[in-house]
Amino acid sequence: MITAYAGGVEMITRPSRTAPGVDQPLAASLRAENISVRFGGLAAISEVTLALERGHILGLIGPNGAGKTTLVNCLTGFQAPTHGRVLLADAPTLGWTAEHFRRAGVARTFQAGRLFKALSVVENIEVTGAGLGLSRRRARSLALELLAWLKLDDKAETLAGALAYTDERRVGIARALLLGPAFLLLDEPAAGMSDAESDELSSLVKAIPKTFECGVLLIEHNMRMVMDTCEMIHVLDSGRTIAEGTPAQIQKNKAVIASYLGGEGEKQLEIMEEGH
Amino acid sequence: MIETPSGRLLRGLLPPVLVMLGVAILTVIAVQLGGDDLSLTITETLIRLTVVVGLSIFVGNSGIVSFGHIGFMCIGAYVAAWATCNPMWKQLMLTGLPTMLQENQYPFLVAVAGGGILAAFVGLILGAAILRLSGIAASIATFAFLAIVNNVYSNWDTVTAATSSIIGIPVEVDPYMALAFALCAIAIAFWFKDTRMGLMLRASRDDGVAARASGVSILKVRLVAFVLSAFVVGVGGTLWAQFLGVLTVDMFYLPMTFMTLAMLIVGGMGSVTGAVVGTIAVTVFVQLFRAMEGGVTVGATTFALPQGTQEIALGIAMALILIFLPAGLTRSRELRLRRQRAATGDTGLGAPASLGS
Ligand SMILES: Nc1ncnc2c1ncn2[C@@H]1O[C@H](COP(=O)(O)OP(=O)(O)O)[C@@H](O)[C@H]1O
Ligand SMILES: [Mg+2]
Repeated sequence: MITAYAGGVEMITRPSRTAPGVDQPLAASLRAENISVRFGGLAAISEVTLALERGHILGLIGPNGAGKTTLVNCLTGFQAPTHGRVLLADAPTLGWTAEHFRRAGVARTFQAGRLFKALSVVENIEVTGAGLGLSRRRARSLALELLAWLKLDDKAETLAGALAYTDERRVGIARALLLGPAFLLLDEPAAGMSDAESDELSSLVKAIPKTFECGVLLIEHNMRMVMDTCEMIHVLDSGRTIAEGTPAQIQKNKAVIASYLGGEGEKQLEIMEEGH
Repeated sequence: MIETPSGRLLRGLLPPVLVMLGVAILTVIAVQLGGDDLSLTITETLIRLTVVVGLSIFVGNSGIVSFGHIGFMCIGAYVAAWATCNPMWKQLMLTGLPTMLQENQYPFLVAVAGGGILAAFVGLILGAAILRLSGIAASIATFAFLAIVNNVYSNWDTVTAATSSIIGIPVEVDPYMALAFALCAIAIAFWFKDTRMGLMLRASRDDGVAARASGVSILKVRLVAFVLSAFVVGVGGTLWAQFLGVLTVDMFYLPMTFMTLAMLIVGGMGSVTGAVVGTIAVTVFVQLFRAMEGGVTVGATTFALPQGTQEIALGIAMALILIFLPAGLTRSRELRLRRQRAATGDTGLGAPASLGS
């Protein structure tokens, strides 16, 4: 842990990313190469190519049902692509389980939160340490560091099932961040948050690549947050890539405006934002 | 909320110490006050407690109901019989046993260890085969295992004497011996729950998908708990054999399975305290109804409940608990001392011990 003294208050500027006996993930890139996923007759994603790099934030947007979660599932070992491959550090990951991906440094959160409700907040985060082979004592001390960094240390002993919505999301992120993953995939972390809350989350997400030297994929419907947080944006519609570019390029892109930001798409966007 | 490491350790040790003290004190009082009859009931209850706590090591932490653990109890019990029966009787009746077992008579603790180890070994093989299944499918597979054990042991003439009883097992288990084993089982269950394996297993119980995303190999953590749990239940079986002195295969079938599961559910599946409270509560309940079935004399008349009332009443009580307290009497929490909590206005002046998380 690196600490700095600011006005006499000890602040944790960077939680530990290593522990004895655990290999620091070195992969520089995580790529989906031309992947397709079919569920029976339904093509959830078709021929999508996308690359995450360490230290950068990539946004992934698209209407509900566009295949965003399915893509994250492919990149984290929860879904085997019907066609195409997922490459970590340019090496194929065929046959890898989700646990295998996490141990290789690919971490994720879930749209539905999915905290371990009967465990305390600190235990929720400790589980990752245990899963990566740490003793409970070491997992606990790393988890507490991370909670302090997220300013959630006062909630360490609270049952996860009793947390407020916004804290739940942060604990989900903390769980994924333990031991500094190489890549972090966030599935709609700001869903249902107010503008002020998403701004706070946005500054947290922006701090992650620098603090953990980690690449981030952010799925989000709140356009303001996406445009503000991401360096590059990838747009999916009905399982296909319709655009990729900087926030400025995406806002001007005709295909995106037609299918997503304008016309029917605009209505859908409003509905989605109201829905939460 | 800053807590010193020693404070944490103390708080972690309190629930097991309190539960174990409670069981020990109840046992001593009951043995001192009661006669020989009660002493038998107490021994039986403490052996059941060992079995139920052993069962909870797997069921409580994994959230998967096992109908097969009484099969492990059966396996343990027969090992005890094979190890401790009179060699002359074994050579006459159990001709299929290995000569080493046929010709020797082993001491109590060897029988106990042997029964636990064989049960754990069978648990390892069974668990590796079925624990990758989803919860319900795994439960059904454990039920099939119980039926298979029952079938094999009822037909394997030369090794288990099939459906005839095995007799003449030296009786070694008295209330205090049973108490010692029950306390060990409780200590093991509390210890396991807090190990990293136990933590990962409890995480997978709450959300398997999220556990995998945290790097947890669900099969591995389930298997560790299954083997440990089979070991403790197997030991319970060896105690059972060396308490009764007589064995038949049918002791270890549906009634025992449902009784032990009822104890776990009534007390609260998710905590060791629940296993203990459930065992005691159900035993007291059953004993009361048995007494009433036997007849209660008030003045000149004797009232007796019809035979079978006890089973029906237990069924109704279980249904009520499942409806109103789905997490059991303890709400699946561990026993703890109420802590001083100025911030929440909790003065700690309430009951000296209470159930809480
Ligand atoms: N396990 C599954 N089985 C069948 N269809 C699925 C499954 N998961 C997702 N789908 C379908 O695939 C499409 C893409 O879903 P999803 O990836 O969840 O979209 P998004 O996250 O962009 O809202 C949807 O039509 C959805 O109904
Ligand atoms: Mg989704």
